[in-house]
Amino acid sequence: MNKFKIDYSYILSLFISIVVALFIGALLIMVTGHSPGEGYGAMIEGVFGNSRVFGNTVAKSMNLCLTALAMAVAAKAGMFNVGGEGQLYLGGLAATMVGVLMSSASPTIVIPLAIIAGAIVGGAFAWIPAWLRVKFNVSEVITTIMLNSAAIFFCKYLINGPLKSTEKGVLAATENVFVFKLAKLIPASNLTTALFYSAVIALLVWYVMGKTTLGLEMKVTGENPKFSEFVGLKKDKLMIWSMIASGAICGVVGMMEVYGIQGRFTENISNEFYFDGMLLAMIMNYNPFGIIAMSFFFGTLKIGAYAMELSTGISGEISQIIFAVIIFLMAAQGGFKQFFGDAFGKFKAKRYKAEETDSRFSMEELSDDMGLDDLGSKGEE
Amino acid sequence: MKSESNTETQETIVQFKNVSMEFPGVLANDDVSLDIRRGEVFALVGENGAGKSTLMNILYGINKPTSGEVYVKGEKLESFHPGVSISKGIGMVHQHFMLVPSFTVAQNIVLSKEPRKSGFIYDLAKANEITENLVKEYGLKVNPKDILRETSVGIQQRVEILKTLYRGADVLILDEPTAVLTPSETEELFQVIKRVVKEIGMTVIIITHKLYEVMAISDRVGVMRQGKLVGVKETCDMNERILAEMMVGREVLLDKLEKTGETGEVKISIRDVFVADDRGLPAVNGISMEVREGEILGIAAIEGNGQSELIEAVTGLRHIESGEVFIQGKDVTELSAGEIREQGVAHIPEDRISTGVSGHSTIVENIIIGKERRRPFSWKGIHLRKSSIVRYAEDLFKKFDIRGAGISTRVESLSGGNMQKVVVAREFSYDTPVLVIAQPTRGVDIGAMEFIHDKIIEKRNNGAAILLASADLDEVFRLSDRIVTIYEGRITGHFKTGEISKMDIGYYMTGDRRETKDE
Amino acid sequence: MGNLSEIFNLGLFQNTLRTATPVILAALGGLLTEQAGIMNIGMEGMMLVGCFAAVAVSFAMTNALMGVFAAVMCGIIIGIFFAVFVVKLRSDEFIIGMALNTFAAGTTVFLLRSIFGVKGTFADKGIVPLPSVNLPWLESIPVIGPLLNGHSIFVYVTWIFVFLVWFLLYKTPYGFWIRAAGEHPESLATAGINPDKMKFIASILCGILCGFAGAHLSLGYLTMFAEGMSANRGFIAFACVIFGMANPPRVFLAALLFGFLNALGLRLQSVGIPSDITAITPYVVTVLMLVYIVTAGESKKKRRAKRLVAEQKR
Repeated sequence: MNKFKIDYSYILSLFISIVVALFIGALLIMVTGHSPGEGYGAMIEGVFGNSRVFGNTVAKSMNLCLTALAMAVAAKAGMFNVGGEGQLYLGGLAATMVGVLMSSASPTIVIPLAIIAGAIVGGAFAWIPAWLRVKFNVSEVITTIMLNSAAIFFCKYLINGPLKSTEKGVLAATENVFVFKLAKLIPASNLTTALFYSAVIALLVWYVMGKTTLGLEMKVTGENPKFSEFVGLKKDKLMIWSMIASGAICGVVGMMEVYGIQGRFTENISNEFYFDGMLLAMIMNYNPFGIIAMSFFFGTLKIGAYAMELSTGISGEISQIIFAVIIFLMAAQGGFKQFFGDAFGKFKAKRYKAEETDSRFSMEELSDDMGLDDLGSKGEE
Repeated sequence: MKSESNTETQETIVQFKNVSMEFPGVLANDDVSLDIRRGEVFALVGENGAGKSTLMNILYGINKPTSGEVYVKGEKLESFHPGVSISKGIGMVHQHFMLVPSFTVAQNIVLSKEPRKSGFIYDLAKANEITENLVKEYGLKVNPKDILRETSVGIQQRVEILKTLYRGADVLILDEPTAVLTPSETEELFQVIKRVVKEIGMTVIIITHKLYEVMAISDRVGVMRQGKLVGVKETCDMNERILAEMMVGREVLLDKLEKTGETGEVKISIRDVFVADDRGLPAVNGISMEVREGEILGIAAIEGNGQSELIEAVTGLRHIESGEVFIQGKDVTELSAGEIREQGVAHIPEDRISTGVSGHSTIVENIIIGKERRRPFSWKGIHLRKSSIVRYAEDLFKKFDIRGAGISTRVESLSGGNMQKVVVAREFSYDTPVLVIAQPTRGVDIGAMEFIHDKIIEKRNNGAAILLASADLDEVFRLSDRIVTIYEGRITGHFKTGEISKMDIGYYMTGDRRETKDE
Repeated sequence: MGNLSEIFNLGLFQNTLRTATPVILAALGGLLTEQAGIMNIGMEGMMLVGCFAAVAVSFAMTNALMGVFAAVMCGIIIGIFFAVFVVKLRSDEFIIGMALNTFAAGTTVFLLRSIFGVKGTFADKGIVPLPSVNLPWLESIPVIGPLLNGHSIFVYVTWIFVFLVWFLLYKTPYGFWIRAAGEHPESLATAGINPDKMKFIASILCGILCGFAGAHLSLGYLTMFAEGMSANRGFIAFACVIFGMANPPRVFLAALLFGFLNALGLRLQSVGIPSDITAITPYVVTVLMLVYIVTAGESKKKRRAKRLVAEQKR
């Protein structure tokens, strides 16, 4: 139904933001006494240099993409899930427990069960803020922020307390999970069969959001909840379930971190992965295609930066700075456009008017109207 | 200007010169020139959306005019900012009060000009004292220490007026001040206006669309229609009939709707319903009414008298505290909006932007939503079938004469009239036996209005039971078969349309006349 | 548990004061922006930059005060930056806050490596810490004396700040303007004051307070800089703001409560209870508080509606 329309001006903004951010990155590289060519060259080398690093890049991008889609699913229906990090932790924990408890079973049973366990626990944990929002109108933004930390500390509690192992920061008996590690698609890389599961999830999200009645209902609910109720949609249910779906995806991401990459459950199972995905989804306006494309860009940036640090000694944190700059610029793109658009529009309008009433045209009038003092302070209402 | 021809010795205090104001897509003020004289009560009348508030917002510095000039006391307003206008002695009481709910009455009155001690400390005691003095001076009773949130609208309006007086305003703009007031409060307000004009020589500009108020209070009156100032007259030379004609413009519009068919069985039955408003205050106090098939029951009431809450309660958007609602014989009191729709109800809400559409979505999406799970539009209620949806939407797009770039235009970019047509198209295409319609043509151009009226009558003639609420009395008269008047959440009168005049309805809309009918 | 007295001794309360201090400072900043109608979750990043600036300048100039000054200057810059994006460019305050945290984490680590060439932690004897206050006369008062004496100077400064912020908000016109800008900006605008200006001021003050918080953390509480050393304190501060309903004394008490839980957690470790379990409490308690605030208001309204309708019926 929504004809696939490409918002060129948005893409232009994105492009400009990326260029500006990379330029700032180049300046930072120069500050460290290296040439930008060397730095960015090392980054590209570190991403496409061999199949192993490329596999790592794909794995990283996949992780970003899924967390971003999780954010998008909830946001589509008007729920702002900031709690993906906590859902990821608890989902990962539940998945781990499946492997720990069923250490003698066959992987064909354990892996699906682990995925399901991750999804259920992640979803259930997302249900709490969703329910509070729908039932009591308590802001899910704040509750999810709070529940994030609560979930992470809960995992730490288990790791340091009842399920303490000999190794610090690792859950007891997780070596049992190691045998269930997903098969690698590229040897020695982090890219595993998790890619297929991710692809299924991404496809499903794209299909439901774009092609189904449910997607349409979610969209309308997210844009105007009052209208949703008015036309007779089950607003509360839609909101709760979209949040649960979001939490379930996060739970599965947690499962994949454990079974795909780390092979055990540690207290650093996620390094604020969800927040990156969340910001990415927001600047891409929750568009699934945009999310997939940008996750690859940011995945490349992150993995490339690690490689750059190893080979040249330039701090890899540059990737974080570039990421943040892009987010800043994209978050403000509407404001920038308005700011410049106003100045430009005013100028154009004046020109137009001046041409029409040529005789009354005066330089004085022109400069008067372009006075910058009231540019930003247009009183609304 | 017309008014200049009969200029007396009075000096001009505010002057608009060829003021135009354009919002995206709307010309709200069209080349308006107007003089206001010192010490007069000037009434600015016009229908909703005629541009009265916009013009006054320009004077108060909230809007910057697209072209034209404004002079206050002979000085040109160089920049448009409330701070500037305030310093020139302009004060404005907005329709929506500009007060901070958690502050006290006194704190609201002195906001931005707080009394201070030793430079930067807020002298709260002094603020209370100032308020007491203002109360004494002008006779507007308020309690300085009350938290504003807990006061009534009448008190809040007084606070607004005191606020402008404290700021030393000598031109007071009142934007529809009586819309929220009870009759006795209105009377009190008029006393205050008369006093400030007579005793301290204030100039008062009152925006209203109630003509009896114009006659009661003003010295001169200006009429606006569709952004233009169509006339300025001495009030004593006018009567309500002439004013009404000037406001509405062409007479031809009225009474050419053909109503056919007989009324049938009861479709909507409302029994002793009580409803609270958003603040938890009683809004509907025991209303009962019935609507039969093939008729339109119009609710005539001044805004804020509970009609909005009643409509929302009937359609399941608001909790009913007590009483029952039956639709087609089924008790729907406890049902949700969606469930009530399933009983055969379609609803045009009073505020299309907040309730009636999803602005970011396209016309297609707005038309199809609610029916998306039905047979031709989806496969087993899951997969959307794009081609049938587009065909259906395009059909309605033409049938309801929606003018836009096409069905994949975002609804928020449409004009008010076309946006309303999208709502009407969706709701009327349900073909339900019951329709609940609120403000069907608010902010809609004449062409779209006639179109929508025709569609409503068509529904009625085909046997639908229609409950209509509108702030536009002409509309109620034009469409309804029967009219009930509601005042403060109670029914004050019940009439057949042909048997009562508009004047008399106005009388019943403004008070509970049951006891005093024969006075 | 025979060693209860070992846990609940004077040290516990001393620790409470110490650990609460950076949180109180950041929360004071957060409550100012909250009152001005901006949800600020960028305090984590604001603090972190303050930590780094304070350590770097204190080390370079061998002067702790200059370190604090640098942290505050950075706070001002970040406050302006935040306000330009959120107020002027109308960006989503949430995105900007989150991105600010990421940006701060990245930048501080980048600078740490580029300037000091270390990874992880920078602790050097050259970093001049903030002085502690030792008052013999205070020391001599039983119980209260040892409890209040001997802390880093910012512990005391913070108490003054709590008063100042409260005074600003409730006793000066500027405070009323800030609150009006948050609660009903149109009313302030129509009274002739630009609410955006108030939001700007609140953001800058928040930056300053977070700068102090950072400086205290890296020069008073500890004497070093570590990657991500703000360690969730920004979010705890945010929780305090919500829990204390953005009212300075209440936020202060909330921060003390959370600080107490933190200090208690550390002590419980000695008897084998992981500190993580007490670390959960602030977040859960805040969620419950939020639910309480919202539902209490709602049910009051509902009850009122019931009562008034019943009155009407009579």
